[in-house]
Amino acid sequence: MTRGMEQATDEDLVAAVLRGDRDRFGDLIERYQGRLVNYLFRLLRNADDAHDLAQEVLVKVYQVLDRYDPQYKFSTWLFRVAQNAAIDQIRRRRLKLVSLRQEDEEGEGRDWDLPSPERGPYGDLRNQERGGAIQEAIDALPWEYRELILLRHFGELPYEEIARLKEMPLGTVKNKLFRGRQMLKEKLRDFLSD
Amino acid sequence: MNRPDHSTFQEWLNLDADGRLAPEERARLEQHLAGCEECRLEREELAAFQGLFERSAVPVRSDFADSVMAALPHAGWEGRSPRTWQFPVAVAAMLMLVAGFLIAGSTSGAAPSGLAALDAMGGMVRAAALAGAGLLGASWKGIGLIVEDVISSPVSLGAFGFLVLCLNLLLVSLVRRRKPAAAAASLARGGRETDGGR
Repeated sequence: MTRGMEQATDEDLVAAVLRGDRDRFGDLIERYQGRLVNYLFRLLRNADDAHDLAQEVLVKVYQVLDRYDPQYKFSTWLFRVAQNAAIDQIRRRRLKLVSLRQEDEEGEGRDWDLPSPERGPYGDLRNQERGGAIQEAIDALPWEYRELILLRHFGELPYEEIARLKEMPLGTVKNKLFRGRQMLKEKLRDFLSD
Repeated sequence: MNRPDHSTFQEWLNLDADGRLAPEERARLEQHLAGCEECRLEREELAAFQGLFERSAVPVRSDFADSVMAALPHAGWEGRSPRTWQFPVAVAAMLMLVAGFLIAGSTSGAAPSGLAALDAMGGMVRAAALAGAGLLGASWKGIGLIVEDVISSPVSLGAFGFLVLCLNLLLVSLVRRRKPAAAAASLARGGRETDGGR
């Protein structure tokens, strides 16, 4: 039975691209762009940078697509490349992961651009406040919890893929996600009823 | 089976939110929830928590996919992809076949047959293989003559040995220098990056 590309697995799409059907890479992009951009946005805290880096990551993945081993999940590979690229960029730009605000020379705070889908790119106050609170709560998490929370909630990776990506036992992933969520919930309690 | 404590139910609620709870545990959780207001509240909070993340998602630019596709360079593997090779390989095979027919036709004087064409092609391949083998043999012979020349004199043998020793030392020092740097880089980067998911 012939399976349409709409139902094709990631691995099928990669195989099609490697056979010379370049357009199938567009299907992979459509499939992952939302998760990838949002995952990178939470790491870089800037929507433009997240888009730019997501593009770099996808181009990089395309260039070495022949090295992809279909025995493993494409998403695991993609997010590993994305995480490493984001860490490199954070190091390069010396972003401070602790604070949501960046002090300018006069000592005044400048908000990072935060998403507010309901009303334009930088949206209304409540959205901005909520986005800021989420980012602040995520940034306050120890890295070992933060990376798992981001992979699970923004990368939407299943437990097994996170375990493989981080080379951790599955039980550790479950445990850290549970603890990370508890910490986040405490900080975001005021916004849960929105 | 032991009766799960309250913290276990809270862990189960988290697993359930991710669709990771086994049916049997899920049934026990539902039973517990019927009589535990705190856990019911916890479940509501978890749902709200996920909703909060979804509402704060950054919208992806509408032209993002197109701009990525436009930015894709020519990857090294593209030259090796079957579709890229299909056409040139087919043309080469056809040319060889035509050449085979022509050679067979010109040598036999009679109308070329398929068998004669294949025989002619085989002859061409044999000739190419012989030429390659001859070249390889000649290069090895050349190397042999140089080595023979070097070891014939004690001075040149000593100089050659010294050169080999220096090259080895250089190689060892380079490997030593690269090893710690590579290990540190790998540790800092959290593992392999573009290793195909392994």
